Formats: sequence, structure tokens, C-alpha cells
Amino acid sequence: MHDALLTLGFGIVTASILALSAVAFTLQYGVTNVANVSHGEILTVGAYAAYLVHQRTGSAIAAAIAAALAGGLVALAMYSSLIGPFIRFGASPTVVFIATLGMSFVIQNTLVIFFGAANVAYTLDPGAPRQLGPFLITPLDEEIVVSAVAITVVLFVIISRTKFGKALRAVSQNRELARVTGINATRIAGATFFLAGLVAGYAGFILAESVGSFNPYFGFGFFLITLTAAVAGGLGRAFGTLAGAVMVGLILEFAQTVRLPGGSYVSASYNLAFAFAILAIVILVRPRGLFTNARRSIFE
Amino acid sequence: MREYLISVLTEGAIFGIMALGLNVIWGWSGDFDLAYYGYIAVGAYMTLVLTVGPAVAPAHYILGLTLPYPLAVVIAVITSMAVSLVVGSIALRHLRGIYFSIVTLGAVYVMYVFAGQYTPLFNGYQGLSGLFDPMGDWFGLDYLSYQYFLLGLCLVLFALVFLFMWRISGSRFGMALRTLREDERAAAAFGRDIYRLKLKGYVLGAGLGGFAGALFAAYLTAFNTSAWSPVEVIVLYSAVLVGGRGNIWGVALGVLIMGLLVQESTRFLPMLPGLGELNTVHPQVLLAARGAIIGLVLVLFLRFRPQGLLPERRFADSEGALAVAPQTA
Repeated sequence: MHDALLTLGFGIVTASILALSAVAFTLQYGVTNVANVSHGEILTVGAYAAYLVHQRTGSAIAAAIAAALAGGLVALAMYSSLIGPFIRFGASPTVVFIATLGMSFVIQNTLVIFFGAANVAYTLDPGAPRQLGPFLITPLDEEIVVSAVAITVVLFVIISRTKFGKALRAVSQNRELARVTGINATRIAGATFFLAGLVAGYAGFILAESVGSFNPYFGFGFFLITLTAAVAGGLGRAFGTLAGAVMVGLILEFAQTVRLPGGSYVSASYNLAFAFAILAIVILVRPRGLFTNARRSIFE
Repeated sequence: MREYLISVLTEGAIFGIMALGLNVIWGWSGDFDLAYYGYIAVGAYMTLVLTVGPAVAPAHYILGLTLPYPLAVVIAVITSMAVSLVVGSIALRHLRGIYFSIVTLGAVYVMYVFAGQYTPLFNGYQGLSGLFDPMGDWFGLDYLSYQYFLLGLCLVLFALVFLFMWRISGSRFGMALRTLREDERAAAAFGRDIYRLKLKGYVLGAGLGGFAGALFAAYLTAFNTSAWSPVEVIVLYSAVLVGGRGNIWGVALGVLIMGLLVQESTRFLPMLPGLGELNTVHPQVLLAARGAIIGLVLVLFLRFRPQGLLPERRFADSEGALAVAPQTA
């Protein structure tokens, strides 16, 4: 019982990072209707920005702000230089999918040129772990979880309470109708990408902190798990995605506590395989996500 | 220099077979399949475990036979096709567009993780090695003449595959695959069994991938997870796209441009004035520059010339009107 609670504690840390990344991804999907495969690179760029600033200033807060800003700018650049033009040109979602995959290849390799492909160690002192209720948790984990929850709350207030959020939801639901009512859909989409980039860049920073090292491919690996969470929760649906992220984060942690017949534990390296097993099942059984009641197929 | 040319051309011929296989799946059938490099890897791994003999501790792998190379190739191709049949029968039944791509991406990462982590299968991340000059001792070849032999073999096999694809391209099967790409519902209205057709095309393409993988194993003599990565498939996609999706002459041209020209020209970047210090920075810099250029070319072609340099011929009906709608991906 105690072990299960410990796992739950780690699961919450994973889930809160995943939630930020997945909600950011799903917002981008919502306003454009295309999947941004280079989303993971926003996290990577955030991690590198945080690392560089932290080395210069030694301040974790400055590093966090740098990560968010770098992420926001990269996401905005992705929208205005690649995704937006492709959409205006009338490209199908699959074409944009391929183009963003190409973009992700470009960014990864550019980072390799400048920083090398080796792992960069990024370890902050996590502090001594302490007992918090039933969980054993370090102050670093605490900061990660608290900040993630705070950001999520702010994000949902923006989406549900502000005028910008209303426009964002309108563009997500029906781009053409939104434009008829005088909403500048391109500007809203650009602003949404910037906002999502801020969140994703910060997610890259806390992910790097929590893992302890990163390299130019690190965001792409996490993107695959992000995709699972977003699809499980329903692509483009912020609340569903949040629930999907928490679920996938917990499942991944608990999967590691399963004992194999030989008595050994499942290695964390299989995480990706697990995530994709979940993803395949969800897509095949409920392609619109677990938390939607639509019976329609994805063809519509 | 001569050995360099031989090795580049051998690699190019193998790369050409890979691209022709991918063209069946993406060029004709129209599915953006990300699992494709997995079938190449299955072909390469299977060829190795069937030819290099039993594992010596601490290495672990399945089978460990010493079959003749051609027989191993046949079994490797069949294995690749079997794996693609499983993935395809799940992914092609209901899914299209990005959902299909996402599931195949998942499938290839599962293969990659298992190949790299599950040691009893293919010796984990250390992989397999020891396939030296297959068929070389049948003809009593020394090291250099074997290189010529392998080059000749790969070129002949590429030509045969090309001829085969040329026949299929104009056949009823090739035409039927293209109708699925253009308009699945219309094809269904004409009584086509969409799922079976797509699955046939998918398994055929994967079989070619496995075949190329088997040759790749002979060329590399070894195979492990650092020799392949699922995203490598982007290089193949860029070749098919740049040359001309759906047109096998275009695919061949794309392989020449992306596989030989772009890939090899980055090797000479440090010789340009002002760039001499490039390869002193760190060893991966040239490889990374190559990757960045290939990604950029892919994006630019998608945006400005999606039909490629040699577009697929459009089939017109007797009235002269275009028989198919503009190409969509």
C-alpha cells in the first residue's frame, strides 16, 4: 500500500509536466486543426534556453522565464513561418503533419550543430525528500507540481473567462463562422501558439529539471507521450486533454511497478511502448477521445 | 576514391529499393506510413540472425542459424511482410490521414524499443554483427573484388525491382491503388474492396523494404539501434517527394538527388573556403547539417512543388478531360 502511494507521488509529478505539454499541444491543434509534430522541439528549445540562462545568472526563476519566452517565440515562429502559410495555401492536415515533421528534423539537427548531440547534465539540487501526507516528495518535485497546477488554472481562466479565450474557443469550434463574426482568426491562432509556446517552453524546463539531463532529441521523445495524452483526452479539447494527461502519466508510473514473471521490474525504457499501446487502443476503440460522447467516426 | 565511389553507389542502389517500396505505400496508395523504417530493420535483423551462427555469450539473440545468404534474404522478406501485415491490418482498417500516421509511428517505436531493450531478441542495443562478404567464398572473391560484386548485385537487383514496379505501375492493381489515394469513396462505389487493396499495397511495399534491409545488412555487415532510427524515414520521404511521388522515374531521380547529391555533398562542406573548421567542432556536425538540409528541402518542396520534379503522368479519358482530381496528400 505504501509503495502504491509512493508511485502515485511520482506519477503526479510526471502527470503535471505531461499536462502542461499536452494542453499546449491540444490548444495548437484546436485553433488550426492540424497536429504540430514539431511541438516537442518547443520543449527542447525551452530546456536549452533555461540551461544557458541558468549558467549565466544562476537564478532558477530567470531560467524559467527564459524557457517560457523562448518556447513562446519558437511556437509563434512555427505558426507564422510554416503552419499558417500552409493552411492559407490550402494544404491538407496530412501535408501539414509531414511539413511539421520535416520542421522538427530541421530544429533537432540545428540544435545538434550548435550544442552537439551529447546529453547535457542539468541537475538542480532537489533538496532532501520529505514526507508530505502519504507521499515522499522533494522540494523540487513540489515546485514542479505546484507551478504546473498554477499555470493550468491560469490557462483555464484565460480560456473560459476572457474575451481572448472566447475568441479562441470560437476559432476552435468553427473557424469560418468565427471569422464571419469579425474575429481575426489568423491573429487569434498566432496568439494561441504564443501562449501554448510559453506553457510548452516552461514544461521543457521542468521536464529537464526532473529528468536531470537532456539532448536535442529529448523533446521529440516526450512529444510521443504528449500525443498519447492528447489523443486519449480528445484532440483539441483542453479539459479532456488535461484528464488524459493525468491518466497517462499515472499509468506510465504504475506500469513500472509491474513485476515480470522473472521477478524483475519493467524497465522505464519501455515507457514509450506502453504509451503507444494505450494510444493504439484508444484510437481504435474511441478515436475521438475517451471523454467525448460523439459516436461519429474520424472521417467526419 | 574508387572504394568511396563503390560504397556510395552500393548504398544508393539499396536506398533506391527502399524508396521504390515506400512509393507503393505513399506514392500510390497515399498513406503516410511512419513504420516503414521498421520493416527495413526487421529485414536487416532477420538476415543477420539467420546467417551469423549461434550467439556467443554475453551476446543473446534468437535463431542463430548459418543459412545460405539468399535463403536468409527470402525468410527476412517474408518476416517483414508478416510484421507489416499485422500493423497494416490494425492501422488500415478504419484509420486514415494523421491517425494512421500516428498509429504507425507508435508501431515503429514499439519495434525500436524492443529491438534496443529486449536483449534476448536481437542482442539489445549492441545489435548483431559478423555477416562478412555473404556469397563471397562461393566465387572465391577477395576483399576488393567482393566490393565490386556487391555493387553489381545491388545495381542488378535495383534494376529488377524497378522493372517490377514499372510493370505494376501500369497494371490494374497499380491503377486501383491510385484511385484509393484520389478518392476512396468513389473507388468503393466502383466495387473495390478498399481495405484489402490497401493492405496488399502496404505488405508489398514493406516486403521491398525488408528486401532492401537484407541487402543493407550485407553492406553494413552489422546492424544495431544506432544504425537506424524511426525518423530516418524522412530521408526516404524527401527522396520520393523531390523526385515525384507516384512516378517511379521520379523516385529514381529523387534517390539520385537526395540520396547521393545532398547526402554526399555535405561530406565536402569543410573543403569550401571559410568552412574548414566545421568538422573540427564536433563529429556529428556534418551529419546534422545533412539532416537539417534534408528537412528544409522536404518542407520547401511540400510548399512550392508538391508534385515533385518529375510529376506523375495524369491519365486522361477519351474526351481529353483530366480523369483524376488534383493530387492531395
